[in-house]
Amino acid sequence: MRSALRIGGFLLFAAVVLVLPSRVSDFRAQELALVGIYFIAILGLNVLTGYTGVISLGHGAFMAVGAYTTAILVADHGVKDLYTIPIAGLVAFAAGFAFGIPALRLSGPYLALATFGIAVSTPIVIKKFDNLTGGTGGINLFESPDLTGAFFGVHVLGRTLTFNDWIYYLSWTIALALLVVAWAISVSPFGRALRAVRDNEIAATASGIWSASHKTFAFAVSAFYAGIAGSLLAIHANSVSPGGFQFDLSIKLLVGLAIGGLGALVPLAAGAAFLVYLPNWAQDLSKAPGVPGVIYGAVLIVLMLVIPGGVGGLLRRIASPLTTRLYARS
Amino acid sequence: MADLLQQVVSGTATGGVYALLALALVLIYRSTGVVNFAQGEMAMFSTFVCWELLDRGVPYWGAFFLTLLISFAGGVAIERLVVRPVERAMALTVVTVTIGLLILLNGAAAWIWKGEQRTLENPFTNRTFDVGGVVIAAQDLGIIAVSLAIVLALWAFFQRTTLGLALRASAVNPDSSRLHGVRVSWMLALGWGLAALLGAVAGVLVAPTQGSFDQNLMLPILIYAFAAAVLGGLDSPVGAVVGGVVLGIALNLIGAYIDFLADLRLPSALFLILVVLLARPQGLFGREAVRRV
Amino acid sequence: MRLVRLTAVALALTAGVASARPAADPGVTSNEIVIGGTIPLSGIAQSYASVGKGAEAYFKYVNAKGGVNRRKITYKYLDDQYNPSSTVQVTRQLVQQEHVFAIFNSLGTEHNLSIRAYLNAAKVPQLFVGSGATTFGRDYKRYPYTIGYLPSYVGEGKVYARHILKTKPSAKIGVLVQNDDYGKDLLNGFRAGLGAKSRNIVSMQSYDSLETEVSSQIARLKSSGAKIFVLIATPPFVIRGLKSAATLGWKPQIYVNQVGSATNIMRIVALTANPQIIEGAITIQAYKDPTSPRFGRDRGMLLYRRIMKRYLPRADANDGFHVYSMAVAYTFVDALRKTGKNVTRAGILRAVQNLNEPSNPFILPGIVVKTSPTDHFPIEQGQLYRWHGNQWNPLGKVISAKP
Repeated sequence: MRSALRIGGFLLFAAVVLVLPSRVSDFRAQELALVGIYFIAILGLNVLTGYTGVISLGHGAFMAVGAYTTAILVADHGVKDLYTIPIAGLVAFAAGFAFGIPALRLSGPYLALATFGIAVSTPIVIKKFDNLTGGTGGINLFESPDLTGAFFGVHVLGRTLTFNDWIYYLSWTIALALLVVAWAISVSPFGRALRAVRDNEIAATASGIWSASHKTFAFAVSAFYAGIAGSLLAIHANSVSPGGFQFDLSIKLLVGLAIGGLGALVPLAAGAAFLVYLPNWAQDLSKAPGVPGVIYGAVLIVLMLVIPGGVGGLLRRIASPLTTRLYARS
Repeated sequence: MADLLQQVVSGTATGGVYALLALALVLIYRSTGVVNFAQGEMAMFSTFVCWELLDRGVPYWGAFFLTLLISFAGGVAIERLVVRPVERAMALTVVTVTIGLLILLNGAAAWIWKGEQRTLENPFTNRTFDVGGVVIAAQDLGIIAVSLAIVLALWAFFQRTTLGLALRASAVNPDSSRLHGVRVSWMLALGWGLAALLGAVAGVLVAPTQGSFDQNLMLPILIYAFAAAVLGGLDSPVGAVVGGVVLGIALNLIGAYIDFLADLRLPSALFLILVVLLARPQGLFGREAVRRV
Repeated sequence: MRLVRLTAVALALTAGVASARPAADPGVTSNEIVIGGTIPLSGIAQSYASVGKGAEAYFKYVNAKGGVNRRKITYKYLDDQYNPSSTVQVTRQLVQQEHVFAIFNSLGTEHNLSIRAYLNAAKVPQLFVGSGATTFGRDYKRYPYTIGYLPSYVGEGKVYARHILKTKPSAKIGVLVQNDDYGKDLLNGFRAGLGAKSRNIVSMQSYDSLETEVSSQIARLKSSGAKIFVLIATPPFVIRGLKSAATLGWKPQIYVNQVGSATNIMRIVALTANPQIIEGAITIQAYKDPTSPRFGRDRGMLLYRRIMKRYLPRADANDGFHVYSMAVAYTFVDALRKTGKNVTRAGILRAVQNLNEPSNPFILPGIVVKTSPTDHFPIEQGQLYRWHGNQWNPLGKVISAKP
């Protein structure tokens, strides 16, 4: 019964994703694409934090790795943008693995603050190696012939999509695929092992689960998601620069995860939407200095007090009496 | 040689600044088990409160102690209003609440004090001493002295008073503390109040070192304070001060003597901290967490 | 019945007019022109918010007097938190959703770089970029829709270099520079201006804007034996750098770049470090300093104060960014007038390439805001100022600051 609800929810979600662009303006489509991109990054963070309990304050750095992989390949090596997306994911995966091997020997807040260190360092390192990264000005992809349909639209299946619709469908197709992957991980033996490690590391180790390597692998998988999201972000913005990857990006992702709900899947999209729309909305209410920040902070705190488990936790709370009732009847 | 010593001295001074905020982070972690992202903004807000009092003509030390009182009350209020409801929620929820507080306090300060540059009086003299070509500022000595005094006071409080013991106990094991008659929830509020008070000391002493300040006073300093606290051990006040000073000196020496890393002094220092942590996962002075099976 | 027929005629007329004329450019109607831009209204660079507010106030003043050719100017400036990714997103919103006529006065070097290619492909004018980066004026052949405003950083660097060559040609020089494009641009100009004498630069120290102190860098500069100290830094780091220099007892001749030399910043240094350290410091200015008694009865500054009082009563009128902001807005209004009654993007581009303002009320007297189809640097002059008696005092006449 619970899996039926899950599948039903997923299909409904996919249907909404499919028809949404025809209901909104062209600009709104690319804004929704941004939601999809954050959704991917948050899904990845959830593989780490939701399944293993490790909090990362550094996933913005892996987004930067993905974004710069795509930007450098497209701008300097003439690789078609679409092909760079999986490459960006793999490079980020490798980076996550390399960082995870030593870092995951740390625990709790020490680990969280170690990941914060990479988030802080990322823009400074990007600026230092300006031959490769273009320094503070970054890399502009807009004039590259390998960027798909940046201005004149994209021809897909006999139809011409605007760039905004194109980036929407691209981001959300990948997001839905990675959503299924995240679900598959959670029900796989690997996912069960991760949860065992999270709930009781010592007992899990005693029953033969090698916790460090599992956690490292989970860290790398979540970095893969961040890399894909970063790559899409570069294509979406047609540019990358270190200013876009300051440490606040990592903190934003964590906020998105908390709003979406730790351990949830589809509801994480709500967390992504929060990141994209709340700042705009706060600014629409008032432009007085500081007031948008007050609104943003206050809404975030109130949401956490009202739904400490995020949107996912709320839905679970609503759904669980329902499933219990249905079970009782049948 | 004088150059090297000058780098060490100014690194120590900068480290003292990090240590002050790191002490507040350590205090709140030790007494409530929370890594408080809003600690820097609470300190910044207190600094503005002190500025406002001075601006309204309150004499310096009156304003200083009044600020400490207001900050203590503010810390207790924050705990009661927004932290207590999520006390039993997941770590992620609590962290997110402190992030919300960070954004809220920063915005509120920008709103109330209009985001303009303000200056705060230096409580120490502006005198400097020249020791064999090395310049030492009285202000920097003052900051180091205050952070050491805080370490002593915290040690005495945690080790020698019943209240301190109760505070430690309720952070480590709330349930058995409750069984022993400790009013755990008020202990947590007390922890927040004391951390806010320490943050106020940090803010009021740090702001003059920066020349001027606005609502973004503590955003960069918080990063260094986190690094210092982690290096020293999140539950160790001595560690916070040593961590801060070591970090300050390391940043200066890397920047001044390794040309390739001059632009990378912060990432390099953070990398060194990671290396230290691999050898000592609980930081230089932190106590190893004993895991119960 | 009569009414119905009249309406029908009116409808037919408007339809006829609409089809007769070529479709108007976005953002322009018979009574309004909508322009937009990005300004940091929150976050780390929030103090630049006045760069948007001053212009908005000036447009309100112009609108109250009837606008330009009976069109009112609506200036939509949105927050980008000084984050280039967000600049891209917000600029798209302005172009695709708000359908602005032009992007005006967006702030920041990287920020404008990240939208330049897009705006040029979309054929949206990117007017009076809020950055002195030389590329915005220099690369107009590749980016014809983009134009800068401020004296270029390269030009500014050359001015300081020339002054040093004239006054202390053999003195050792130490430089503190921010590790980004703006820092590099200004430093390049400074070096080019020194020419062979750039070997006099005995020490160069950089900082990242995440740093909290520059005392280490200043100690290095001092021990290099430099007698001239050039600060290519933003206000917080100008304050910290000069404060450290004072603490260490270093007494060089100081040059502060325009980005960080506002009077209120220098007064903070005088107050918190010591007043001697900045005595005789040199900077360049292009727009009028609202704190200067020299402009106490100046007509431009009287107008400035009137507009501030009327439209921004709660803001700090001594904040020079407001003056700068009104200067840009004045030039935009001027260009719009020159465009004529039929406002098109092509028209405004022609106008901004043929500016000639001998007396922009907010710009220093003697400086002409001038462009041509082959010169896309509106302001290429400046005046050196010397710090004395707790204020900036002009040092010589208006001079060239060509890149």
